[in-house]
Amino acid sequence: MKKILEIRGLSKVHGHKCPLCCDFTGPKHDTNICRHCNSIVAIHDISLDLYEGEILGIMGESGSGKSSIVKTIFFDEIPTDGDALFFDNNEQYSLFTINAARQRWLRNHRFGMVYQSPHLGLNFSISAGGNIAERLLMSDLFHYGDIRKRALELLSRTEVPSERMDQSPGKFSGGMQQRVQIAKALATRPPLLLLDEVTSGLDLSVQARILDLILEIQRDLGTAMIVVTHDLGVVRLLTGRTIVLKNGRIVEHGLTDQVLEDPQDAYTQQLVASAL
Amino acid sequence: MNKNYLLPLDEAAYNFGFLDEYAKKEIRRALLKAISIPGYQTPFASREMPMGKGFGTGGLQITLSIIGVGEKLKVIDQGADDSVNAVNLRQFIEMTCPGISGTEDTERASLIQSRHRIPETPLRKDQVLVLQVPYSDPLVVVEPSESKRKTMHGEGDYSRLLTKLYEDIVKYDEITISHRYPTRINGHYVIDPSPIPRFDVPKMHMSNALILFGAGREKKVYAVPPYTDATPLAFDDVPFRIEDFRDENGKRRVCRRCGADNSFLEESINDAAGLKLHQCSDSNYCNRRLSLSGPARIGAEEGGI
Ligand SMILES: [Zn+2]
Ligand SMILES: [Zn+2]
Repeated sequence: MKKILEIRGLSKVHGHKCPLCCDFTGPKHDTNICRHCNSIVAIHDISLDLYEGEILGIMGESGSGKSSIVKTIFFDEIPTDGDALFFDNNEQYSLFTINAARQRWLRNHRFGMVYQSPHLGLNFSISAGGNIAERLLMSDLFHYGDIRKRALELLSRTEVPSERMDQSPGKFSGGMQQRVQIAKALATRPPLLLLDEVTSGLDLSVQARILDLILEIQRDLGTAMIVVTHDLGVVRLLTGRTIVLKNGRIVEHGLTDQVLEDPQDAYTQQLVASAL
Repeated sequence: MNKNYLLPLDEAAYNFGFLDEYAKKEIRRALLKAISIPGYQTPFASREMPMGKGFGTGGLQITLSIIGVGEKLKVIDQGADDSVNAVNLRQFIEMTCPGISGTEDTERASLIQSRHRIPETPLRKDQVLVLQVPYSDPLVVVEPSESKRKTMHGEGDYSRLLTKLYEDIVKYDEITISHRYPTRINGHYVIDPSPIPRFDVPKMHMSNALILFGAGREKKVYAVPPYTDATPLAFDDVPFRIEDFRDENGKRRVCRRCGADNSFLEESINDAAGLKLHQCSDSNYCNRRLSLSGPARIGAEEGGI
């Protein structure tokens, strides 16, 4: 399988940062906060690979730093340290060293992001179709009829009724807002989709439909995804491989089945046990 | 004041007009930059002028920095040379710039300062048009942060502006922007062409005359140089349209005074009869046509209801 993303030594520290930050934080100390300088080590020394068409899980409790990983990949946050390579057709991009314009281009054309909060991913002052149109208009589509057709396709793929297309997503249910976000993220047919706690706070039945939808997208479009979640059920259903994060460090990684059936790390064991 | 800077009397013309030489140089430098980068909003140190901002101080500063002895100046407001604003501006410039002359005649003018209109008479390459701009950035309607707007301009990313047009068509079946129609200059920067109607936007495309824009409050100047591409934003299948002035029967309305069927018309209601009356907004154009052909159509009514 072809590698699409390679991350090495990714770190993100909020604050001044001192030489002791790494030593004073992590699972061993059960904290993200450096007691010497009060900096917050959101993630430290994260390395991972993602392959074409694969869904990788990043699992952890809140404060584990799991969202920081996707936020740095999507350029919402600037990492303190580390490298990331994105392989796209025959191109290769070093995500954190290319210039800001190139980063925005990747963000707009090659990556898709679905946030936990629809407010971050959607513009409520325009229609659902307009949200998708905006992304299409970033590429070279300037034909109104074609834009509508494509937006309608995307919305119907994500099970948003066509008659809601011209309404503001502010009027939609939480589940439907997430489906519009997914449609918008898919507009440019990105090879990489990042999903940050997309089913949190939704009813179980609504969650199930969205998870099915994500699997369908992977099957039909072959989109590679990173799924960030605190939910073991989500990890079990969607992902082939999983990384378990605690206090900003990877404590366990492997095939999802193995990680869940036979966890090696004490923390993962505790997580799995509490979910049973 | 620096004594060494005092000029001998016979060189007094060096310091011409209302603005001091330093101010003029600074604005001219900004104008040269604006002309070199068509459509780019170039910052300049907008001065306090002896009139309120919003009364065309940006346009006025451009005019005062490029005007010279022998200049024939025309000032229009809403197409009229005789409106209070236009007269005030013209008188102020005539008073402070000795040796220039005012004119209402578009063809005679070498420098035209305008608000809301581009004259109907096609401009020539020896003329300069200065447009007064209240809001300089077309992106302000979609992005409040100026630094983000600058990035969007720099990258030519007008997707959010186009999304606004998309939403317009969804809601009203057409693009409803009537004035300040966002227009892409030389294939890159999109400008706010000042509050001219859509009707005037095509006049900027490959214009013979240099067109300069000044926003006093926002401290920006920009330019559409002669023979430069100016393309209003639109979709491939929903093209830009100008006002067509058709009546209920689909017939092109004509000016009630001069009979012109190709000019931008102003509508007024005749109170007594409740009739809608239409006449040229460009008063000089209308008067010229009248004086050439005689007042044949004065009083002729058209439209109805
Ligand atoms: Zn520290
Ligand atoms: Zn007329």
